[in-house]
Amino acid sequence: MRLPPQPEERLDRTQRLTFTFEGESVEGFAGDTLGSALFAGGRRVFSRSFKYHRPRGLLCCSGQCPNCMMTVDGVPNVRVCAVPARDGARVEAQNVLGSLERDALAVTDKLGGPFTPVGFYYRTMIRPRRAWPLYEKFLRSVAGLGKVDPHGRHEGRYDTEHRRAEVLVIGGGRAGVAAAREHAASRREVVLVDDGNRLAGLQGETFEILAPARAIGIYEGGLVPVDAGRLLVRVRADRIVVATGTVEQPLVFPGNDLVGVMLPDGVRRLVRDWSLKPGERAVVVSADERGLEAEEHLRVAGVELAEVVDLRSRPLRQIAASGKGGRVKGVRLDGRDVACDLLVMSGGRQPAYSLLSQAGARVEYDSSRGIFVPTELPASVEAVGSVTGEVGSPAVPAASYDGAKGKCFVCICEDVTDKDVKRAIAEGFDSIELAKRYTTVTMGPCQGRLCHVPSIRLYARENETDEAAIGTTTARPPWSPVSLGVLAGRPHEPCKRTAIHHRHEEAGATMMWTGAWRRPHSYGADAGDEARHVHRALGVIDVSTLGKLLVEGPDAAAFLERLYPNRFADLKPGRIRYGVLGTDSGRIMDDGTIACLREGRYYVTTTSTGAEHVVEWFEWWNAVWQLDVEIADVTGALAAVNVAGPSARELLGRLCEEDVSNEALASLDVRELHLAGVPALVLRIGFVGELGYELHVPSPYAEYLWDTILERGADLDARPFGLEPQRILRLEKQHVLVGQDTDSESNVLEASMPWLVKWDKEDFVGKWALEHVRERGFRERLVGFEMENGAVPAEGGQVVLDGRSAGRVTSARWSAELGKAIGLAWVPPALAEEDAPLTIKIDGALERANVRLRPFFDPDGGRLRG
Amino acid sequence: MSELAFLSVDAARTDDGFAPRAASPLARALAGAEGVGDLSLVGKLEVRGDVSELDVSDEVVRLTPTRALVLGGRETREQLRESGYFVLDLTAALAGLELEAGGEQVLRRLTELDLRALPAVGAVARVRTIVLRDGDRFRLFFPQEYGHYVVEVVLDAIAGLALESFPT
Repeated sequence: MRLPPQPEERLDRTQRLTFTFEGESVEGFAGDTLGSALFAGGRRVFSRSFKYHRPRGLLCCSGQCPNCMMTVDGVPNVRVCAVPARDGARVEAQNVLGSLERDALAVTDKLGGPFTPVGFYYRTMIRPRRAWPLYEKFLRSVAGLGKVDPHGRHEGRYDTEHRRAEVLVIGGGRAGVAAAREHAASRREVVLVDDGNRLAGLQGETFEILAPARAIGIYEGGLVPVDAGRLLVRVRADRIVVATGTVEQPLVFPGNDLVGVMLPDGVRRLVRDWSLKPGERAVVVSADERGLEAEEHLRVAGVELAEVVDLRSRPLRQIAASGKGGRVKGVRLDGRDVACDLLVMSGGRQPAYSLLSQAGARVEYDSSRGIFVPTELPASVEAVGSVTGEVGSPAVPAASYDGAKGKCFVCICEDVTDKDVKRAIAEGFDSIELAKRYTTVTMGPCQGRLCHVPSIRLYARENETDEAAIGTTTARPPWSPVSLGVLAGRPHEPCKRTAIHHRHEEAGATMMWTGAWRRPHSYGADAGDEARHVHRALGVIDVSTLGKLLVEGPDAAAFLERLYPNRFADLKPGRIRYGVLGTDSGRIMDDGTIACLREGRYYVTTTSTGAEHVVEWFEWWNAVWQLDVEIADVTGALAAVNVAGPSARELLGRLCEEDVSNEALASLDVRELHLAGVPALVLRIGFVGELGYELHVPSPYAEYLWDTILERGADLDARPFGLEPQRILRLEKQHVLVGQDTDSESNVLEASMPWLVKWDKEDFVGKWALEHVRERGFRERLVGFEMENGAVPAEGGQVVLDGRSAGRVTSARWSAELGKAIGLAWVPPALAEEDAPLTIKIDGALERANVRLRPFFDPDGGRLRG
Repeated sequence: MSELAFLSVDAARTDDGFAPRAASPLARALAGAEGVGDLSLVGKLEVRGDVSELDVSDEVVRLTPTRALVLGGRETREQLRESGYFVLDLTAALAGLELEAGGEQVLRRLTELDLRALPAVGAVARVRTIVLRDGDRFRLFFPQEYGHYVVEVVLDAIAGLALESFPT
């Protein structure tokens, strides 16, 4: 039932809207919140409490308390008192078994008290341990704040926005708006954040308004994340003005959570904003003028005022509300019963200092007014309005009142009573920080807005000290509850694609991730066939993902000489050498080739996933050694294609005019040529064991070169092959894949590459560590193996010796070319001999294998060099 | 072949029946998009040395006291090399994207960079990017291998904002 139109009502009575509550249609007006429309429709019970399932009704009507939390369109814990009503919304009660009026779990309130004291979950339901899953399931079903649908589909989108401002004002009350205008008048870029809709009518302002939106916290560097619904606005401001005002405090007395017990602001909003009559007969008990101001609203609404108590002039010893069916029916004031269906309480206003405290402000207790006040603000932060402590001279209410039996709530979010706090103290939780964690007081959805001061006051009384001695708990974000979707925002997962990526997709390649790269796994169903084709004719693979660096300068050779264990000082222009990079501790970090393009200029390739790390490594050492060297990462500038197979030379000859014979372009030679008209670096390298060339060209020409190779090589049966065939081919040659066959403990000596290390060099990174390995002897060796029965072991599978795990398989594949299952494994040094028998566990069975120290395919490298 | 020609897009030549064609890494992702321009094939040079007084007619973006991005081509490259600078042709390495009106709103969703203090280098959708601004117009230069991805997230942000000036 609505009151006649009120002067300041927010309703547009010409616009009706309809939503559903528990499937029933509810009508409201534009300007209503879901909560006000439900109240207008006669609803008084809005939720059931967290632990005891007590009925709860509207209390603050300003989105502070937990009493009106419902599930709206599948989203739990929506404070319906602050959410605008909208057509078609689907509103449901939460945390009930049955209905809001008849919740079967309310039995907890009647019978569960003795069994569910504070911290009961730490002491009970812990034995037998195997029953915990059942206990957990039970506890989760009866407690909590709504449920997230684990099968719920992600709907809508969340975004993150980054905003810079000279001044950020938090709070759109009178003081906040005045501060925003003042700063804007000084030509500063100002953003004002407010959690309500009250600024909607502001016209002609020269500052930006974010509303409704809530500041979540204040972080270092002036970062203030603002929850604007589905948008998280990360504001970085040079100056932050906090105008968060105050929060009305409840009184602590038996029955203080009954439906019909309200804060003054709740009454004011019901009457003034939504023209609703909050009750029929009211009692007002107030520690400040705020409650008394509610008196006027009640008179306007035609509510009978049974009694008004100003605690400043008439302190009470006893306050106790009584009710029926969870709704207030009367209140006992110092032994005298007064019938009412509305009890307006005000324990004074507490400055909402939490954001200031997060920013580094000091907080002090003002014993004369019973409030905590922020002081000593950081230089870039200011406070304006009532958050500074401008709240008049309220009475300091008692820590708790009695006068009747019944639960007396200190924290309505978590259902923490005065008895709980007393018990926690008796159990030894004698600091407010410990008590917070044990009782969970201040840890609920209101984040201490309504329970922080009352709990400190109670703590002080029970410890027979004062509030200043108790102090406050640490203020931490989030100051307001925030959905995980808002925090997650819009995920950005960078993905690297080669310049030929789309050609692979068009060719039907199955793509796979390698680090951040997308690469073709294979182009057909049989990767083995793709590998065999390379042996038979001509394969083409996109190797653009290789890291590529230029190292140039007078000291370039000396620089590489110091970095790698092998020698580069004698590497002649036009030649290539394989190298393995080690760390200071001699561990393998990456590998690749180093080509000398001319004196003082080297072209270095790295693994696909190691490029950035190698660049950093090079630059770090260059800074340390202060050599005259320029290092340039040209990974993205150059695409690379590897053509391999018996017809590779024939193909290369078709792409350029130059002599590419074995004499002119020998194995491990590098040349700068034009290929199909494109400037290119041609490296004769054979990672896959066949005659092959890596063709490095400016990436914009990669697709053109790829197309040209396939076109000009069509009669040579040129076909693309993917990463999986490449892995088979390199395994046939026992070529090591860093990161696959090595780990963070591997070194080149034990990885069977001792030939790389030039001990006569004065020094190189990791030399001392490798010397130590040489002196202490090998603990394991990386060797090839061949299965006797053709079974392919899992990568990571165990090498078993005398019934114990003695090593591990790092790579294993079926080679169609060889007709064998082959692999690489780390084994005890004693087994690192040709033909040594190995036992490898495959699916629980022990299978026999033999060690192979030489490449499985073309062990003499005739095909590679031919 | 000239110095580091294998890095230069402009070193390709049409002969012997070959007609090299350079392709932008953004071409497919940008197909049909309006209000977003492709700068990928614009000449881009990284110049190392004392770049405080670079004497070139092209646009110079000083990244550090000893590094600059010069938006120039072959002539500028050769001129700078002759002047003793270490010059890398980044034309192929960096993709380029131009955002017209509304670009600030889009970039706010993708980067923490202070858009009032450009040019700057920082993460755009987690990709290291050089961001330039001329009034309402923004230019982004970033590693070409991220090109398709960056366009995807830019178009996604535009769709999220439902900007009329960026039909998608």
